[in-house]
Amino acid sequence: MPGILGIYPFGLGRENWRLARFVYYGLLALQHRGQEIASIITFDKELHNVTKKGFVDEAFDEKTINSIPGFIGVGFVSPTEEQTPIEVSNPLGLILVGDGKPELEEDVRESWRAFAELLAEEIDRTKNALRAALNIIEKVNGGYSFIALTENQELIAGRDVHGVKPLEVGSLGFDLGAVASESSALDVLGMEHIACVKPGEVVKFDPYSIERGRVKGADKVEPKYCSFEYVYLARPDSIINDIPIYKVRESIGVMLAKEHPVKADIVIGIPETAIPFALGYSKSSGIPVSLGFVTTGRKVRTAIKPSIFERLVGVQLKLNPIKCVIDGKDIVLIDDSVVRGTTLRNTVWNLKRKGARRVHVRIGSPSLVSSCPYGIEIPPPDELIARALDEREIAEVIGADTFSFLSIESLCKAIGLPCNRLCLSCWRRRT
Amino acid sequence: MKVMGVGGGAREHALAEAIARSTHSPKIYWVSELRNPGIYRIVKQSGGEYALARTTDAIKVAELAEKWNVDMVVIGPEEPNFHGVPDEVEKRGIPCIGAKRSLSIIEMSKAEMRRLQWRFNIPGKLLFKTYRSYEEAIEDLEKHADTLTWLQNVALKPARQAGGKGVKVVEDLQVYLRSEKKQFKKRHIRWIEQYMKKYGDIEERILIEEKVWGPEYTLQCFVDGRTVVGMPLVQDNKHAYEYDIGPETGGMGSYTGRGYLLPFITKEEYDRSLEIVKAMVDAIQRITGERYHGFIAGQMMLTEIEGPTLIEMYSRLGDPEGVNVMAMLKTDIVDIFEAIIDERLSKIKIEFAEVATVVKAMAPKGYPDFRDLAKNHPVYVDEKAIEKAGCKLYWGSVHLKEDGSMVTGGSRMIEILAFGESPQQASIKIERCLSNRPVRLLDGWELFYRSDIGSEEMIRKRTEIAERVRRLYKYREERGILGKRVDWLPKIGKIDPVKNLLDELKVIRS
Repeated sequence: MPGILGIYPFGLGRENWRLARFVYYGLLALQHRGQEIASIITFDKELHNVTKKGFVDEAFDEKTINSIPGFIGVGFVSPTEEQTPIEVSNPLGLILVGDGKPELEEDVRESWRAFAELLAEEIDRTKNALRAALNIIEKVNGGYSFIALTENQELIAGRDVHGVKPLEVGSLGFDLGAVASESSALDVLGMEHIACVKPGEVVKFDPYSIERGRVKGADKVEPKYCSFEYVYLARPDSIINDIPIYKVRESIGVMLAKEHPVKADIVIGIPETAIPFALGYSKSSGIPVSLGFVTTGRKVRTAIKPSIFERLVGVQLKLNPIKCVIDGKDIVLIDDSVVRGTTLRNTVWNLKRKGARRVHVRIGSPSLVSSCPYGIEIPPPDELIARALDEREIAEVIGADTFSFLSIESLCKAIGLPCNRLCLSCWRRRT
Repeated sequence: MKVMGVGGGAREHALAEAIARSTHSPKIYWVSELRNPGIYRIVKQSGGEYALARTTDAIKVAELAEKWNVDMVVIGPEEPNFHGVPDEVEKRGIPCIGAKRSLSIIEMSKAEMRRLQWRFNIPGKLLFKTYRSYEEAIEDLEKHADTLTWLQNVALKPARQAGGKGVKVVEDLQVYLRSEKKQFKKRHIRWIEQYMKKYGDIEERILIEEKVWGPEYTLQCFVDGRTVVGMPLVQDNKHAYEYDIGPETGGMGSYTGRGYLLPFITKEEYDRSLEIVKAMVDAIQRITGERYHGFIAGQMMLTEIEGPTLIEMYSRLGDPEGVNVMAMLKTDIVDIFEAIIDERLSKIKIEFAEVATVVKAMAPKGYPDFRDLAKNHPVYVDEKAIEKAGCKLYWGSVHLKEDGSMVTGGSRMIEILAFGESPQQASIKIERCLSNRPVRLLDGWELFYRSDIGSEEMIRKRTEIAERVRRLYKYREERGILGKRVDWLPKIGKIDPVKNLLDELKVIRS
């Protein structure tokens, strides 16, 4: 689930741009997709790669940004320290950033390395970067999006034939073209969001043109858009594959209210992802929605923080219940997903301690029971609470009065696509 | 009858083709700078002659018209108008379809055009300001960078028509990227100034206009000095590359709906646009005392502030937009030209086929900003394959050499047109045609074109934007504040930039 971004200048004076700062702000908008690694890659006569650990604004201070030259820019944020931009120098200099996993090796990082090497060899062989990328995508299964920048000033962006991972296109005036994991990154840069890169499609920018191509037959392949993006990963102000995230999340709330109604005084969403769910639930059920928590510190995606210790610190810092809102109330508490259940148990306990009478937990996604085949950092299956326990049992464990997941069918309906056009692997039990 | 044409691009090829269709079976004569293979063929088939000359050399062109003893001359591009070719031709008693030098100022000087529009208080205006030098512009923009005035968010343009070159729009909404954008803006102004030096004919070099957004469309018209007759609307696409990304070009492709309207422009908006063009013709005729005989076009945008808004004017047909309408034209164009000459356009019926069209331009890589790279590549075109695919070929910037071989001229090389029930359908037809690569450069240098022009997605996107803008300007209209702007400066207070501009230009009340 890393965030990727590429910005490319066109026309007379294109070398005059300095894009490091553009990349920096674009990465800030993609920060939720990865908080362990941040990279700014540029081209200015040669390729430069500045990769650092931590949050984007910690990794890059003013001085560092100003010191990075270059008029072509690529950015990367990763949720794991292992995954960094891949550099290839032979037979062709190239730096590649990717989201998801090409099915080449067991390990995600090794898969990307193999992918980048294949791409460099194919470009060298065909002398045609667009053709080369299409050939590779046709051959390599998996769910992935990537951006590669070559020493020949070619920026190549593409998606696997099922379009599992997102990639969106934007522009700024007559000057800049861009691709990014999410449209909100383009918005933040003041760009126009134009369209998604289609499944199996490659877009190539070079100094004198933009070329597009699509793997033969890809228009007849059923897409498998990642449903986890819509539930949890993407920012609510993003539009992915022409579908607005916010609209999906609000519909999820509506569906939840219909599937799992309950009598209560207020609806509360756990910030930030679950707030649109709560608004939808309230709209549909007529139960008023309230702000239940205030967060402290920077936004930490608790499901993807690596260690348990950090996760606990994360949740305590993150969620402080507002006592006067919950005291003496029957509450519908909505969260986006349940991984191990630790954060939820803490939250329910906190709510009751501050005076909640009943806590009915509703989850805006189906039960998470399998790992992601495309590299999203979900803990191993035996650590997933929904794989071991049913809803009634989970309610007991986390101390809630009732507990329900959204059904897979309702999730598809909320996204607005038939279930066979979505990747639902993590919600389905594989043996 | 003998008809002579001036100019060597795809637009002129489409004009020549329309003339060749005439029931008057005219002999066709032509003059251009490169020998256009398509026009050359038409000329030869009609029994006429083709000459190579600088089309901005008014004397030379007029002499050719005299030598060939033609009955009328039609001008394709803008530069011959700017250089007084129509004036010189008419001086010799030969009627000319082309705006005279003084009339063509509405295209040549973007500043004059805008000034005229403000002085006559014609709807569809934009706030503007001109500068003579880089220092002047930069000082003013920097002064207003942090103020609540329209100068905060502007489009920079060369004040003179410069072949569609040099327009850059840099917004300043993202405060955190301001230093990067400001730096770029500064460099761009300096570039415009340098670029304008090559045209010695205009004193104001830099024009800034308030930044607007909305769908663009072109309204091309016939004019005879009394009557302005509108043609079907066309949408041109200025960005060089797919997705509307990349530098501004003369136009990479264009489409029409079925008939007069585009899928996202209403009849009312068409009528208002035509009123604007008519008023501009009246205004320029009043100022100059000349009669406008020829083509005129309004490059329009639907904006939130004014609804149909004039962005620029052409003293000619657009290219590629001219190709769309010439291919759709059912009326004999020589009859129309004669009606223009006699100023009786209102008496004749002008008809266009009720069919959608799409035109896509192909250019060698390097166009538009690095033309030296795009020049002198040998050209191969399989004309039969294009015809078989149901498409039409218009030759553009290609030179047919004496030995019969062809090389690129550096600009848009050819334009391919298809008819269809809808633009989407016509676009698919062209895509199918081009997928077999019937057009190539023999030295392996690559060509590019835009696959997205006229596509379902493009039209959906334009329609969405048009609806957004329409909601806003209609609301303004209901509240009676169409065109109203308010600025504010601390210690000075509220400012009405519209009133200031009107005062400054002393409005002429008609």
